[in-house]
Amino acid sequence: MAQPTTLQPPAAPATQDAPRTGNWDGGNEPFKASYGKLMMWFFLLSDAFTFAAFLTTYGMIRHKHEVFTGEAKDFVFSSRWWPIPDHVFNAFPGMGEANVPLGFVALMTMILILSSVTMVLAVEAGHRMDKADVQKWLLWTILFGTTFLGSQAWEWTHFIHGHTEGTVMADGTVFHGANLAMNQYGPVLFADLFFFITGFHGTHVFSGVCLLIWCFIATTNGTFEKRGHYEMIEKIGLYWHFVDLVWVFVFTFFYLV
Amino acid sequence: MASHATTEQSLAPGEIPKPNTAWIWRVFGILVGITAVEFVFVFLMHPGTMRNSIFIILTIFKAFFIVGEFMHLKHETKGLIWTILVPISLLVWLLVALVTEGSFMGEVLENMFK
Repeated sequence: MAQPTTLQPPAAPATQDAPRTGNWDGGNEPFKASYGKLMMWFFLLSDAFTFAAFLTTYGMIRHKHEVFTGEAKDFVFSSRWWPIPDHVFNAFPGMGEANVPLGFVALMTMILILSSVTMVLAVEAGHRMDKADVQKWLLWTILFGTTFLGSQAWEWTHFIHGHTEGTVMADGTVFHGANLAMNQYGPVLFADLFFFITGFHGTHVFSGVCLLIWCFIATTNGTFEKRGHYEMIEKIGLYWHFVDLVWVFVFTFFYLV
Repeated sequence: MASHATTEQSLAPGEIPKPNTAWIWRVFGILVGITAVEFVFVFLMHPGTMRNSIFIILTIFKAFFIVGEFMHLKHETKGLIWTILVPISLLVWLLVALVTEGSFMGEVLENMFK
């Protein structure tokens, strides 16, 4: 039988094929999650790499330094050993020189966990297409988020200005507070890591607050209602919970351990 | 039929269903409880490996509730759960490895000029 010299298009089937629904035929949602949510998960995973790099660096540098072995009450700040966190973070706004070890950071942790709760409440309201409730819970989340940022600003200010007694440095002068080159609390890297880790986290909270404000405006304008779903709130919610999660780890490794 | 309308709790168009938030506040209670327990340990226990281990275990508990319930990962497909968990567990390995390395480096630096 003679072969055709040019490629012929295949004869059209008499009836249309049934839609193909296999794994690789397109039109599927991998992991049964929408595109946006899946990409948010992958972004958060990559963000977790960055924060893990910070915390790993912190762990390594901290273990490289000497540990203060005496009784906690005899502890003094020195660049020889790593400071005990509850001696560094013991101030509370409006209480002057009172010793409130970790009191303020506990309050900040509570505020952030609470903001996570109001975020889930906003997502839950979105599932029910309840615009008024979404607005209400978004506003609470924005409020707690900005309160957290304000608290962090206070915490930084206090850390930078330092305790009144200060620490006598190697050259005999008394130094108060901290900057990137020297600090009164301990090794130089202690303050550097504090600025970088809590600063990077604070930047994340700030971006989160901006996204939430945008979400609130879009909700108020009825953008999501017209779209038929509040998935954007869920995606921003994933980000917000991640930021809360990072704080849980920063809190443990920077303040508790 | 009239009886049908009363037995079926269907919603009229535009009506908003009742909120279902008990589980959210339960998870919140757990998170606050764990944080409170951590604070008790800060002031009751002497610093050491034992106390640090307690903190790390409690932190992982908190992470489980935040990721599992608030971020809904517990209710996603198995594939997604593993996609997130496997890279994270490799990071934990890195963390443990470099903390060990840090202790070793500290020891070397301390004894360098002895």
